[in-house]
Amino acid sequence: MINYLANPVRFLKFSKIATPIFGLLSALVMVWGLYLALIKSPPAVEHGEAVRMMYVHVPAAWCAMMAYTALTVASLVSFIWRHPLADSAACSFALPGAAFTFLALVTGSLWGKPAWGTWWQWDGRMTSVLILFFIYVGYLALWQIIPERKRAARLASIFAMVGFVNIPIIKFSVDWWNTLHQPATFSNVGAPGTAPEIAAPLFTMMAAYSLLFGWLALRGIEADIIRNRKSRDGKQPAAISVIETV
Amino acid sequence: MISSIVRRDLILAFRSGGAWLHGLFFFGVFIALAAVSLGGSLNVMRPLAPAIIWLALIFSAQLSFPSIFQEDFQDGNLAQLKLAGFSLFPVVAAKAISFALLSIVPLLVAIPFASLVFDIRYDTTMGILTSILFAAPALVMYGVLSSAILSGRRGGGFLIVLMTAPFLIPLLIFGLAAVTAFPLKGITALEFRALIGLSLIAVAVGIPAAAGALNANLE
Repeated sequence: MINYLANPVRFLKFSKIATPIFGLLSALVMVWGLYLALIKSPPAVEHGEAVRMMYVHVPAAWCAMMAYTALTVASLVSFIWRHPLADSAACSFALPGAAFTFLALVTGSLWGKPAWGTWWQWDGRMTSVLILFFIYVGYLALWQIIPERKRAARLASIFAMVGFVNIPIIKFSVDWWNTLHQPATFSNVGAPGTAPEIAAPLFTMMAAYSLLFGWLALRGIEADIIRNRKSRDGKQPAAISVIETV
Repeated sequence: MISSIVRRDLILAFRSGGAWLHGLFFFGVFIALAAVSLGGSLNVMRPLAPAIIWLALIFSAQLSFPSIFQEDFQDGNLAQLKLAGFSLFPVVAAKAISFALLSIVPLLVAIPFASLVFDIRYDTTMGILTSILFAAPALVMYGVLSSAILSGRRGGGFLIVLMTAPFLIPLLIFGLAAVTAFPLKGITALEFRALIGLSLIAVAVGIPAAAGALNANLE
């Protein structure tokens, strides 16, 4: 499958079908998930109505980490096999990933005010997610500052792989520093305390966010392939004319 | 090979007319600015002093990061080393050592004087020095890595601060926790082990990554 899609032409053929499917599914699941989360699910005992913030906060944080993991895998492929499609994939994962990280921070802050009485606390989870956001910004800045595409891809992939150290820190920060942010709720599904009327909207929203990320990433890769092709097409006549004048 | 590169770097630095001391002056200026902005009262500054000293050290190091590879990249030294068939791993290691000697060691020497002007206790000063010593390999390696990534590019100053900040934040957290833990538990405190772990990870990841980045820039 991956081998088959490694060819840009075949990938464009595949994404022509897959991208609208991802977009439509994401919209549908998002509407259904929002209905479940905002209207159907009951308010929590301790948090009241503020618990509904969870249904937009947790999926955003999950997508932020998933995007970075995908970015690292694409960077690894790009670094080892120097595959141009992996470069496109890596730099298309970064912008949605940064957006999801920002969303997770903002929604977390909005949820923190009613739940903890503070907009921000420098505890392990929040600080490490903020670091993730900075890593995303640094990664995007690297692509910006280096004009040669191949070199930018190589250097950015090195930076991304080193930055992956942060992902396990985010994951385990709630276990290592026993502070404000609660530990993972759904580490063992089916345990007592995970009521199905809370789990169902949460998982629906996670699916919707993941589909949205897939749609954004596919759109990004498509645009990048086409942009690449255009810049290559634009260059060829110039090269020929130079040779003619010489 | 490592020792000859380090020796060359040291000779070049000593003959350059003191450019390697700019980081030290920055350290002093930062501390003076912090003291002035805090109002100059020792009772206010004493609890904040470890944080100010750590910040001054990190900013000073960050501002000297771009120079690690810049000169050797521009005058073609690195390209010659690569053409001669040398592996870039020892080059990176040598550059890390000479950066530590030229930029970090002067700051370590300056820290006792900085703690003098803040009037902090002897064991806190020792805590600051020890925590910085344990964090120094990570600080140096992330600097070498970011400098290798941005070598050959002008005006990377802000970007290098932005790029290294995420990796230096854990050092800052554990370093300052280690300073507080030092008077109670000494060097056996848990935070020092965390700092050593961070340093080991940085060295293990940083040397191959920096060599890879240099290779990409020299292609």
